[in-house]
Amino acid sequence: MVEIEIDEDACVGCGSCVDDCPNDVYKMNEETWKTTVVNADDCMACLSCHEICPSQAMTHSNIHVAKRLYIDRKVNDVLEKII
Amino acid sequence: MDMEIEEIRGTFKPEIIPKETGGDIEDYEEALHVLMKFVGSMSSALEQVSGRGANAIVYQAGKRMGHDAAKMMEKTDDLEQALNEMGEVLGVEFYFEMWKPAGQEGYTIEKGNETVVKVLFMDCVVRQTLRRTGLPQKGPLCYLLYGYMVGAVEEVMSIKGKLDIDHVGPNACLKTLTIKWGGK
Repeated sequence: MVEIEIDEDACVGCGSCVDDCPNDVYKMNEETWKTTVVNADDCMACLSCHEICPSQAMTHSNIHVAKRLYIDRKVNDVLEKII
Repeated sequence: MDMEIEEIRGTFKPEIIPKETGGDIEDYEEALHVLMKFVGSMSSALEQVSGRGANAIVYQAGKRMGHDAAKMMEKTDDLEQALNEMGEVLGVEFYFEMWKPAGQEGYTIEKGNETVVKVLFMDCVVRQTLRRTGLPQKGPLCYLLYGYMVGAVEEVMSIKGKLDIDHVGPNACLKTLTIKWGGK
């Protein structure tokens, strides 16, 4: 089963993940105005919430991590030296 | 950036079954990235020249691939069995599974003379190519898979099918496969 962790300190409460998720996995907490996970069972681990989150506040565990053969390791090596 | 190109020199004789590729894993990686860039450029150029017609061209190419790939597969009327077989043919580079919301009982839903199933594509070379070249998802290249699935379903089950994109993400894409009973 997918486990989703929200870093409440990082979450800015923009609600982008709530709008983006097609399976209504997230909901805004009315009191804290932070994202909360309400329906993790329906998460299909597409990770579009990761892509849309401006503060990288989410962590998904126990998911199939798709291969990332598109990553250019030579470019990453150069970036690592700069950043 | 320092680039060292090593030339391979040796003797070459005509051979019936080649055993050596003449490259290592880094050569494969390099070739894969060049191919991804090449296919991505072709896709965007195709879209620029043909507009929405690009989708139809790529769809047709995928459909042909699907028909060819499924020729060796066992014919069946069972959609779930067909999808399992197709999973083996598509292999790890198009790794998919049937998907359903937690509250739904089975994977397939019957709607009149149609059967609907949600398919979750987890590993996808098309998605990786799009990300390599900075192209958006749901574009012409995604129609390759659309055509592939439809072609394979048509070949295995001898019926019409269609694949709609529900949602796309960087790690997985959800699609709906609909098959229509009642002949071609």
